[in-house]
Amino acid sequence: MFDDPLVLARLQFALTAATHYVFVALTLGLAPYILGTQLVATLRGDRSRMVAVRFWGGLYLVNYGMGVLSGLVMELQLALNWSGLHETFGYTFAAPLAVETMTAFFVESTFLGLWIFGWDRMGRWAHLFCFSVVTATAYSSAWWVLVSNGFLRHPVGFAMVDGVAHLTDPVALVTNPAAVFAFLHVVSGAMLVGALVVAAASAHHLLRGDDPHGIFRRGMGFAAVTMTVMPMVVVSFGGAQFRIFGQDPPTSGLTYTAERIEAIEAAGPSAFVSAVNTAGELVMMTAWTVMFLLGPVMLLARYGGPLNPRRWFGNGRGSTATGADGPGSAPRVPSWFRPRRWGLALLLFSPFLPYLASVGGWVYRETNRQPWVVVHHLTTADAVTPLSPGAAVTSFTLFTVAFGVLACVTCWLLVRFARRGPEGGPLAEHWEEERSKDPDPVPTF
Amino acid sequence: MELLSTALLALFVVGYLVLAGSDVGLGMLVPHVARTPAERRRVVAAVAPYFLASEVWLVAALGVLAGLFPDLEHELVGALWPVLVALALGWLVRDAGLWFRSRVDDRRWRSLCDTALVAGSWTLAVCWGLVLTALVGDGLAPDPFTVLGTVTVVALFALRGAAFGAERLVGASEAESADAAARATRPLARTALAALAVTVLVGVGLGGPALVRPEVAAVLVGILAAALAATSGLTGPMLSRHTSALAIAVPGLVVALSVGTPCRPLPG
Repeated sequence: MFDDPLVLARLQFALTAATHYVFVALTLGLAPYILGTQLVATLRGDRSRMVAVRFWGGLYLVNYGMGVLSGLVMELQLALNWSGLHETFGYTFAAPLAVETMTAFFVESTFLGLWIFGWDRMGRWAHLFCFSVVTATAYSSAWWVLVSNGFLRHPVGFAMVDGVAHLTDPVALVTNPAAVFAFLHVVSGAMLVGALVVAAASAHHLLRGDDPHGIFRRGMGFAAVTMTVMPMVVVSFGGAQFRIFGQDPPTSGLTYTAERIEAIEAAGPSAFVSAVNTAGELVMMTAWTVMFLLGPVMLLARYGGPLNPRRWFGNGRGSTATGADGPGSAPRVPSWFRPRRWGLALLLFSPFLPYLASVGGWVYRETNRQPWVVVHHLTTADAVTPLSPGAAVTSFTLFTVAFGVLACVTCWLLVRFARRGPEGGPLAEHWEEERSKDPDPVPTF
Repeated sequence: MELLSTALLALFVVGYLVLAGSDVGLGMLVPHVARTPAERRRVVAAVAPYFLASEVWLVAALGVLAGLFPDLEHELVGALWPVLVALALGWLVRDAGLWFRSRVDDRRWRSLCDTALVAGSWTLAVCWGLVLTALVGDGLAPDPFTVLGTVTVVALFALRGAAFGAERLVGASEAESADAAARATRPLARTALAALAVTVLVGVGLGGPALVRPEVAAVLVGILAAALAATSGLTGPMLSRHTSALAIAVPGLVVALSVGTPCRPLPG
């Protein structure tokens, strides 16, 4: 099976896209939280909230680097391995992706750069504006990517001229229902990723009673509220997509006749693809159910029950480091027998849940389309670049290894910076002090 | 309309070569110009503000290519698949090195990232050499023309990097790297000139690549040779900032102006 270039090209794209998405989802999930925190900090002139912005912003920065790198390479790989798709649907499928790359890369990196290098150098409202542009472009890229993806599922707005799709209705392309619902579904799912990453980082520091600026107390509050509200939103927009799943696209018949389509579909997906499809759905629904139950538990624990940090630290400063004989509220039980410690320890691993749900859901959605890459127009087998098995194996190995290494490095850095807390991140304030002491200042990067 | 989109594509590709030539070239020369950790840090700090801005031009060129010339893109991918894969990998490795270098405060980590920067920069330069030569000649072939053309382009990248380094690495205490870079411009220009001469001889001797407008190519190669000859002289280091930019633009211009590219007119 693994000497077939088609299988390798598909597997390679699946792995690349899943890796890329891991970082994109965190970008989308963290950006609104950072923006909101910075807005409140700017309105109130609150220093401790600005420390929080630096902390979460540092994680955002490390994560963004990998998001952009993997996105660029993924796009190149899409052009290299799927030339049939570009040949026929260059104007309709590749054009939104090109727009996306340019906005994501150009506007987003520019304003992220301004935001980083302009810290304490520009007015606080101008600085806030920079991050609002970063957030807006992050979301607009997600929109363009899903316009491309929605087109594959539900191709609209083009006419076939000499075997090449020519865009006739750009409005239909960008308001494609398959793109709109997928966008809302993906964006609300990314909020779950952001919330649980914030929860995990906060849990780590709350377990150590290390929260001098209230960053992690507030982070836990945000996570609890988001986790209570968002799972319902995710599932509604996810369910709304099923309406389109069974429909024939309006452009059906432009490329193949109805009989031909039926003949192609009659072969059906292979047993392997069906199994993967079912597995994706199962993983998605299981992880979603756990998160659906997790939210209210977090909210109750946060505001009413044993997870309320006001009970843990009498005056906002940690006391758990001293164990069970801490002042006031600390109960007289061994430290391992405290539900809040167990709850927090479990939250450390919670970011796996939304990732599993996202990747599972994506595998489910994409395998559902087989044998088509563009429904009723182009089969996956016709879209792949004709490759020799040797070339396919080489490309697969090189890209998979490179992506694997980079993803591991990024995750390691994210965990490392999250554990270090607000004093040790890439945007932390003491770096600035070091820099001003440096006799030969070179801008850090 | 077609003229406009072609001009746009040429502008982005040439702009990329001129701008990215600086930071890719300097990345290639790191082992030569930066021998101490402090010097290497300086080189990375000189490249860091520019590399994303240079890559934007390539991304824009790819966007124009995918959106306006899907046929040409298809053709290119078919003909140059292995080189483009290597180019993407080199790009990934190089950017990772630059992006992650100052994230961890550890000597071995930094030297690993520097290795990624140097290796990635060389890969990019060699791949661009192969791509441009293959576009001028007829596709990738293991012949002397491809090899020599690639050597020429690689030398042009290094020359551009040396000129950039001579200008950007000047500092109060660490002028060493800037001097090393400035000294490198003359031998690099001579290497490029020699490689260019042999490439042209071999190209003409083998019957010449099938150019649509050979006279334009001849003029451009003349300009390139003049720019390199000027840089080879005593005043080379002083002129290199402008001549290296002109020199690295020429291969892109040759491809844009004198090579027949397969493309159908744009719809609508």
